[in-house]
Amino acid sequence: MERRTISRFLKRTAACTLALAMLLLAGCAGNTGNSGGDGDSSGKTKLTLWHIQTGTAADIIKDAAARFNADHPEYEVEVVDKVNDTYKSDLSMAINANTMPDIFITWGGQTMYDYVDEGLLYDLTDLMNADGYADTFVDAGIAQCSYNGRIYSVPVENISVAGIFYNKDVFDQYGLEEPSTIAELEALCDTLVANGVAPFALANATQWTGSMYFQYLATRYGGLEPFADAAAGTGTFENDAFVYAGEKIQEWVEKGYFCEGFNGMDDDAGQARMLFYSGDAAMDLMGSWFVGTIAGENQQFLDDGKLGFFPFPTLETSDADPSLCLGTIGDNLYAVSASSKAPEAAFEMIQYLLDDEAQVERKAQSKIIPLKNFTSDDPVITEILDAVNGAAGIQLWYDQYLPAEVAEVHKQTSQEIFGLTMSPEEANAQLQAAMESYLAKNS
Amino acid sequence: MKSITMSQRRRRETAIAATVFLAPALLVIAIFVLYPIVQSFVTSGYEWNGYSSNKVFIGLGNWVELMKDKTFWYAFRNNLVVMVLSIVIQMPIGLALATFLDRVGKKGNICKVIWFIPMLMSSVAIGYLFRYALDANTGFVSAISQLFGGGKVDLLGNPDTVLYTVIIIIAWQFIPFYMVYYMAGYSSLPMDIHEAALVDGATESQYFWRISLPLLKPSIKSAIVLSMVGSLKYFDLVYVMTSGGPSHASELMATYMYTNAFSSYRMGYASAIAAGMFILISVIAIVTMRLLNRKED
Amino acid sequence: MAGAKKGFKPSQIIVAVLVVFWFLVCLVPFFFMLMCTLKEQFELLTNGVFSLPERLYLNNYVEIFTGTIWRYLANSAIVLVVTLVILLMFSAFAAYPLSRWKFRMNKPVYSLIIACMSVPIHVTLLPIFMMTVNLGMYDSIWALIGPYVAFNLPISVFILTTFMAGVPKDMEEAAEIDGCGKYGIFWRIMLPLAKPGLATLVIYDGVNIWNEFSFALTLTQTAANRTLPLAVQEFQGQYTMNIPMIMTVLFISILPMIVVFIFGQDKLIKGMMAGAVKG
Repeated sequence: MERRTISRFLKRTAACTLALAMLLLAGCAGNTGNSGGDGDSSGKTKLTLWHIQTGTAADIIKDAAARFNADHPEYEVEVVDKVNDTYKSDLSMAINANTMPDIFITWGGQTMYDYVDEGLLYDLTDLMNADGYADTFVDAGIAQCSYNGRIYSVPVENISVAGIFYNKDVFDQYGLEEPSTIAELEALCDTLVANGVAPFALANATQWTGSMYFQYLATRYGGLEPFADAAAGTGTFENDAFVYAGEKIQEWVEKGYFCEGFNGMDDDAGQARMLFYSGDAAMDLMGSWFVGTIAGENQQFLDDGKLGFFPFPTLETSDADPSLCLGTIGDNLYAVSASSKAPEAAFEMIQYLLDDEAQVERKAQSKIIPLKNFTSDDPVITEILDAVNGAAGIQLWYDQYLPAEVAEVHKQTSQEIFGLTMSPEEANAQLQAAMESYLAKNS
Repeated sequence: MKSITMSQRRRRETAIAATVFLAPALLVIAIFVLYPIVQSFVTSGYEWNGYSSNKVFIGLGNWVELMKDKTFWYAFRNNLVVMVLSIVIQMPIGLALATFLDRVGKKGNICKVIWFIPMLMSSVAIGYLFRYALDANTGFVSAISQLFGGGKVDLLGNPDTVLYTVIIIIAWQFIPFYMVYYMAGYSSLPMDIHEAALVDGATESQYFWRISLPLLKPSIKSAIVLSMVGSLKYFDLVYVMTSGGPSHASELMATYMYTNAFSSYRMGYASAIAAGMFILISVIAIVTMRLLNRKED
Repeated sequence: MAGAKKGFKPSQIIVAVLVVFWFLVCLVPFFFMLMCTLKEQFELLTNGVFSLPERLYLNNYVEIFTGTIWRYLANSAIVLVVTLVILLMFSAFAAYPLSRWKFRMNKPVYSLIIACMSVPIHVTLLPIFMMTVNLGMYDSIWALIGPYVAFNLPISVFILTTFMAGVPKDMEEAAEIDGCGKYGIFWRIMLPLAKPGLATLVIYDGVNIWNEFSFALTLTQTAANRTLPLAVQEFQGQYTMNIPMIMTVLFISILPMIVVFIFGQDKLIKGMMAGAVKG
């Protein structure tokens, strides 16, 4: 009796296990030739491209890949949509497993330098210099894609510098004009507060949004050096520039310059833009992708000519260069992995992302292409371009420039400064400690 | 002599049968759960960014840092708050809903479906809906407050309120699970016990407190353990709604680990956090279970 | 209910008020989710979440239903069914000896399974990803089944063990006297009696698996092999997300579950009743 039931039990279990195994095998069989650059049965070399664009911006990439595939029957580019939120971790897993995509985006600063130091990026210097291709790009863009004098990526997506966008209706209503100094800005903010309008729309659960105020204020106070020195270990984040930035922010918070509840609001979800569109807040310090964002979600606002822009005001009492911009030239930098089977074809694919058709599509989506010959009919974008072209230098976003673990501390402490839960001195000391600990580990 | 060998044989048969029954589950768990957690313990000995070939062995360095890390212990404290409040809020409401549905039977079908909906909604949807709902400028709490002449109410950006706000939303999401769980508990009670009790002259409330509640004790105990473990490793809604902020006010162990692993790229340290969580939660869960079961005996 | 004819008792009124209150608490967010799906993004951002849509706007649905959603739905359904079958079988197997028998390894094994409930999934992503790649199963829906079964097993075993422990000993003994062995008892007695527990698991694990995001994101990459929860990422950009589209995707992914729950609950309840111990 017992034995029979055992054997029946085993039979059932065996049947189930077998079914499971077959499913797994079916899965494997349906999965050959994925990832990696191996040729498949059709004899084509497969190239994988990872990007993080969405919606119509992703279509630009897919269109470019289709053109490339049509022109190059021996290759097949597969475009994989990745999501920004988990992009870096996806990439690090692929690095671990040796399944890196042939073409992928990275950001400038420490992230890219680390990849280069790991030997993960293909050196594009010769390909970029052939036929003067590199010269067609804005110099600051190429500088951002370079490390130790070699070029490792291509600035494709956008000139993304931060500046202050404002709702013209609100400015008109209270007879306000674009301020050029911080003192003027403060006077303007006082007027708005007195009229019950929040001067700045800010959604700072996102952290980098508030951090931009900190970065600009520090840059206006001390120029590029304090930050560059602090990051290199020759200076410190306890420098006056950072103290000024922190104190100014807290002063502004106390005066009510930012919308209510900013530390709990999410920028991606549009909580700041809701106030900006409705006129409940007058200004938004944001990267120049803002124009494209508005074009995508509220074209009417642009058509009505409500959007205005001015560069971050200057600090009269400082001798730092007032033309400095904060941001990145290129935003997403496209790189070729060192393990790619066809790096030259991969590079050519990247060039398709900026060919004539792509440029037309990009322009139509309010992208600011980092090419020297790029011009725009859009007045706001032209103003942004003027600011960039007149800039003596670009301060790269702290969170891209700094190593990830230090950047995280910066974002945290800047949020705490905004929340008044930490004094600027404490915040800067904590940031400095994180920087020192990183440098000690990696010296 | 013979009886000893009989019992020995029985014991061996039981052992073999137990092995056969347990093998599939243990095998899957070993591959997909135990192996990774062992890996975490190993990785916790390194300073590593998650992809670099440069993996530096630092022994107990990460563990020493973890012991001294105020943010981690603050996150642990937050987890304990979530745990206690989840049990206090979710258990009674879940039980009350289940009791109601059990009493009204088929008539309560619409309620059952509607009451179950929060469980079906993904954390992403819930997170964004409540984000907008609680927006200090455009949300409904602010609107209600302003209607009565109050000011704007900022629940998610205020370090003093953010954790409790999220706990209430977590409760909203998980009450339906405990409702279903207790309904299943009710349905395995002997069927005619209710009628028998009423025939004996018991009132509904007497029936609930004296008869069904004691019979549901095993369900309640295991629900408490489930809720504890779930709260201590909770991640989803907090990540979507606050990412642990502002100022770590809603930081949980799991969100802190996630930030370290995927924003700071401190894989070694994140592994130490994960391994620490594993130890803390297991110990708390197993000790609680022992305590709950001892009381019974 | 005896007093119903003579008017309502205060206690009944309180209960009724609470029932309606809870009804609204559960329904209102769901309702606003539905409203979100009927708006364009600018409408959401200019008029807010709580306004009703200005007009019947169905383009979100049109856009999604003309995309790859069907493939995602099919993938999700396959993963769900296969995972649930394996998961319920394995957890019932495991719960039986743990709940009914005395043997030396019982407590240690049970404790181990409890401990496994407390593993945070995010640290397992990298090891499991590496394993999947090495097995050649990366970017395939079948790669999801192992992790899904494994991560829902501990809690399922725990729940089922509680249920099986509640089955009266004499039923098992009676069956044993009838000549049923341990294996026969499992199929003929324990499994039917554990139905309420199994039904709970179908619901709980089913929802978990249907909404699972992290493993799906990590272990698959091409559109053909993605599951439903990943459909939202098409609308999550670097600086902005399209909330109405995301809500639409999530709303569409809830619908099948509500339908299954409405039509399946009778069956589930019957299952529960069949499992109820007849006094």
